[in-house]
Amino acid sequence: MKYVNYRLKPRLLIVVGISLLVSLLLILLELTPWAEQINLQGYSHGDGEKRDIPSYMRYILPFVKELILIGVPMLLTVSVMKLYGFLKRLIKPKIIKS
Amino acid sequence: MSDWKQNLQKTRYVMDVFFLIGFMIVSAPQATGVPLHEWFSVVLIVPFVIHLLLHWDWAKASFKRLCSKVTMKERFNIVWSYLIYLMMLLVFVSGFLVSEAIFPFLDISLEIQAFWSKLHHDSATFIMPMLGVHLALHWSWMVKFTKRMMTKEKAA
Repeated sequence: MKYVNYRLKPRLLIVVGISLLVSLLLILLELTPWAEQINLQGYSHGDGEKRDIPSYMRYILPFVKELILIGVPMLLTVSVMKLYGFLKRLIKPKIIKS
Repeated sequence: MSDWKQNLQKTRYVMDVFFLIGFMIVSAPQATGVPLHEWFSVVLIVPFVIHLLLHWDWAKASFKRLCSKVTMKERFNIVWSYLIYLMMLLVFVSGFLVSEAIFPFLDISLEIQAFWSKLHHDSATFIMPMLGVHLALHWSWMVKFTKRMMTKEKAA
């Protein structure tokens, strides 16, 4: 892994240092009125009634959810980029001709 | 595929595949259970750091590039990469602050705040479409290297 090991110590120090600094700044969010409001309201997730689904689905459904949440925006973005590229190619020769 | 360590692009490809698979496993706590989800998250820090190290030159030049004349796609890619990095840190930080397995294991008592629970759930959900867009921005690179790696594998 020569590309990871190349000047590893200083680079690692910078990456970890910046990440820790940003993380510490993010922790300060808990001092905001926004955090205070949520703490007062309380929050619960997934404590509701248990749905009657086959047990194997418990292992499959989370990954299906991930595939949809990642895959749909990915395909939409790829489609938009391809369409943009296509329109750009379509318009450019016309501009050159005129 | 044996020479992937000798080529930066191939190293990036292989490590990114590991990172993506790890991310998907970590992002399914309903399937793995919360303790495994938390310990896998700690392990995921390694491919995350490797991902950053393998894009070191890009990251170093990115701010300068952002201020110079670049294409709209390149500018969007740089800003999006910064945002996804921040979101990833937020997911990690909030995750550690709502830990139910790691901190008790280390004998550290921590009062879990509703704020961090909500932030962890929301940011972990939101990072998935963000990742989708991040992958889409590197679509042609992904397709090119998937083909290249597959051809090499078949030839070997």
